[in-house]
Amino acid sequence: MSTRREFLTTLAGGAAALAPRRVGAAPKSMTVVHESSFIKGFDDFFVKTLAPEYEKLTGIKIGYETVSVGSMLTRLTTIVETKAGPEIVGTGLNWPHLFDQGLLDVTDVATEIGKKIGPWHDNIFDAVVVNKKWKAIPWGNIGQLECYRTDWFKEAGINKFPDTWEDLLSAGRLLKKKGHPFGFEIGHGFGDNHGWMYPLLWSYGGREVDKDGKTVLIDSAETAKAVDFCRKFYQETMLEDVLGWTDVSNNKAFFGEQISCTNNAMSILIVAKRDFPEIAKVTDHGLNPQGPKGRFHLYNPQSHAIASHAADPAAAKAFLRWLYDDKQLSRWLVAGDAYYAPYLQGYDNHPMWNADPRYLPFKESLKTSHLHGWPGPAGHALSESNAKYVLVDMFAKACRGDSTKDVIATAAAQLKQIYKAK
Amino acid sequence: MAVRPEPLARSATVAARRPLSLRGVLEREGAFSWLMLAPGVLFLLAFVAYPFFYGIWLSLQDRPVARAGTFVGLANFVTLAHDAVFWQVTRNTFVYTAVTTVLKLLGGLAMALVINQAFRGRNLVRAFLLLPFIVPTILSVVAWMWIFDPTFSVINWVLVHTGMITTGFSWLGNATLSMVSIIIVNTWRGIPFYGITILAGLQTISPDLYEAAAIDGATVRQRFLHVTLPIIKPILIIVTMFSVIFTFSDFQIVYALTHGGPANATQVFVTYAFDLGMSGGQLGMGAAAALAMLPALAVMIVALTLYMRRET
Repeated sequence: MSTRREFLTTLAGGAAALAPRRVGAAPKSMTVVHESSFIKGFDDFFVKTLAPEYEKLTGIKIGYETVSVGSMLTRLTTIVETKAGPEIVGTGLNWPHLFDQGLLDVTDVATEIGKKIGPWHDNIFDAVVVNKKWKAIPWGNIGQLECYRTDWFKEAGINKFPDTWEDLLSAGRLLKKKGHPFGFEIGHGFGDNHGWMYPLLWSYGGREVDKDGKTVLIDSAETAKAVDFCRKFYQETMLEDVLGWTDVSNNKAFFGEQISCTNNAMSILIVAKRDFPEIAKVTDHGLNPQGPKGRFHLYNPQSHAIASHAADPAAAKAFLRWLYDDKQLSRWLVAGDAYYAPYLQGYDNHPMWNADPRYLPFKESLKTSHLHGWPGPAGHALSESNAKYVLVDMFAKACRGDSTKDVIATAAAQLKQIYKAK
Repeated sequence: MAVRPEPLARSATVAARRPLSLRGVLEREGAFSWLMLAPGVLFLLAFVAYPFFYGIWLSLQDRPVARAGTFVGLANFVTLAHDAVFWQVTRNTFVYTAVTTVLKLLGGLAMALVINQAFRGRNLVRAFLLLPFIVPTILSVVAWMWIFDPTFSVINWVLVHTGMITTGFSWLGNATLSMVSIIIVNTWRGIPFYGITILAGLQTISPDLYEAAAIDGATVRQRFLHVTLPIIKPILIIVTMFSVIFTFSDFQIVYALTHGGPANATQVFVTYAFDLGMSGGQLGMGAAAALAMLPALAVMIVALTLYMRRET
């Protein structure tokens, strides 16, 4: 039976030897901080199964701290700025770029995982690789897809979820007439707004900024078409209230049977299965509709990073190697009810996808997903643009009646200031 | 040459050489005063002065999160001055503060006048009226979220069922109504603070003054205008000053109810600063947005203080 030190040494391997190492005993405990999962079983599995298993194996106690949904960025800011707190931190969206100097290089661990269960999906590199170094290791994507009521769609004569935005608009008109409007968030939430607005913009050929991060592209005929469509889509299919919605609003409206379709993560379906079984039976997911320039989805990569203040980076890396081993990761993903779509191609046919055919669009959406602000760089300017709700407010103002020209001009001026473009 | 008598000179020398004792130090009024002030001063230095000056320092830097800052002088303020959203935020903050302050002042004064009267169950009523101020803000905001919900809204239900409107209002989806909504919640929450403070002032007024005024033939209105109001005026000014500061920097109600939406219709200084600093990772810009409210607040506080000093 190996000792704790022998186990860590073996697990860390040759690559870990290159990492800075503190002379002395391995830590007695480490803490992982995550955003609280909508899937209770996912958090529970870590606390009740994974953490005790690791402690039994190594003697290292793993604490699991959760913060409420939408608060992780604030928590991460305080951890990195004060250089104190949990050693292993959860990241989302483009945060590895935002905090790159406060996070350790985990290229060695990511490469090993990629060789064992991968390769990694190509698109994910934009989110977690900063200056050619992996700053976080993704475990899954929280996909944002269309979520709709099959019974009401059928009543309106629609047996298959519409494939294009125009078809969805037609369906929405019919359903609104029948008292079942759509409800897509256009307010200042943190995810369900961008979840469909970026894909809508991209599918009409619009872009915020070019790859160089200096050329603002928002002022285009393609953006104008997307804005015009959005205005019609809002006015002819939705509740007025969506302009003020935050992320809880559409879930509440769906369960309150106020709306027949929204854009959301899989959480609606999973919560419905648990608490509203009758609604769950008539709830399904569809890919985002395609526009004239294709079909798109939004990435929300959930990843683990090691904060640079970690007292023993080798121990933190050893834990991540263990966690991302198929024996652990596979069970954890199953506990998550396929809510997190892994970016590892080795899991493309994972049994978790077979639990319910309604989960499959989330796997399929990975192929057409991009990070916010694509094709622009995923740096600080992107975060500022999202924090200022540039895209959301461009669409929201158009929906409330402002002219297409004016809303695009305002967004362009904001983006030029944010990206320091000329 | 005058020579001090020897015994006195000796005792003065002994006193001078006597080691400082705690009792001796405490006996000195100056030292004792500083000792009593020290905890408060240290607290203020640590939790008010340091963050304040650090905030100023941050606002003068280009300071992305997790990176070292670069001194940029007033560049962040210049950027904000060219930001259309910032001016919308400024307008929103002033409207929100001005309207809620007037409503809270009038409501609080009315509340204080009523609960200052003698009636059965007065203490119970006083306790209930304080509830909005006692309940944690976030809890009451959740309740208000339901009250403003388009389907479940009790306000809409009443208006529709009394035939005043045919379809419910979109309280949080309409730009004007969303501002009205946050004003309603802030007023509801703030009135007890005004009420209880003004009540304290009302209770200091001697009944003799009212008796004398009544004997002179003063009506209720005249008694209020010429006895009550002049006496409680300093309290009204102080409570208004506090309320303006709290409202100007109100975060929870706006953040939880609308997060500044729709399309920035309810975005105020503090929520905008939070979005820039915490969500956008631009700590320098966020600090600048937060400090932008300082001049207006400072002018108002100085003006009110001068007015109060003149009055007294």
